[in-house]
Amino acid sequence: MFAALAAPQRQQILRLVRDQPLPVGVIAESCGASQQAVSHHLQVLKEAGLVDMKREGRRRLYVVNPDGFDSMQAFVADLWPARLDKLRQAVADGET
Amino acid sequence: MTTTFTCSIEVPAPPATVFNYFIDPELLLTWIGDHAVLDAQPGGEFTLDIEGVPVRGRYLEVVAPERVVVSWGHAGSEKLPPGSTQVQFTLTPTDTGATLVEVEHPEIDVPMFLWRLPAHFRPGGMPAVRRQRDTGHGGNRKIVFSLDFVRPDRC
Repeated sequence: MFAALAAPQRQQILRLVRDQPLPVGVIAESCGASQQAVSHHLQVLKEAGLVDMKREGRRRLYVVNPDGFDSMQAFVADLWPARLDKLRQAVADGET
Repeated sequence: MTTTFTCSIEVPAPPATVFNYFIDPELLLTWIGDHAVLDAQPGGEFTLDIEGVPVRGRYLEVVAPERVVVSWGHAGSEKLPPGSTQVQFTLTPTDTGATLVEVEHPEIDVPMFLWRLPAHFRPGGMPAVRRQRDTGHGGNRKIVFSLDFVRPDRC
């Protein structure tokens, strides 16, 4: 997920689609990038669970997926508590 | 925005024992990561892969048996390149012969734009300023102010 967020242009795309669903063409125009490049970024974001695609007639619209951010927050919040739990267990096992 | 994640736990062994779990690769891997290359001296290598995330850094402070500070970043990451953050582990003896292990991870990788999302999109709503008072072990009293995602049930 962090890899998906690494590219500045993907962060720009996320800012654009957080308020309203947008088609690739509009996103590309706003970003000043090619549709091909934006499609690639959207695919990465979609695979990371940060963006959803929905169909409206023949158009494909992209929008932020808030659940994706929930999982990122969970990653951040769980990293150290979970590892410290394991440390306690590992030390306890080593002491016996 | 700077955020700090703080967390602590009591571990059932004295600091001299627990300290080894931060400097010995075999012991480190019993609780975090699946591959490690460590050279536990100031400036020494701190390489750790955690479930596919390549953490790369250096040992900055190695003070046996009370403190380890490492630089922390992810190889290939623009947001969190190697050396971009520091993680501090503090080991304090308790009255019962155990060790209080504290982790402080400032500037953890929470992208700036996340804070500009509408509140209902932002995990946990607004961030909270947490005032955390250490109950004091060995006379070491301190207060940590941290801006983070509060998980009171875990930390």
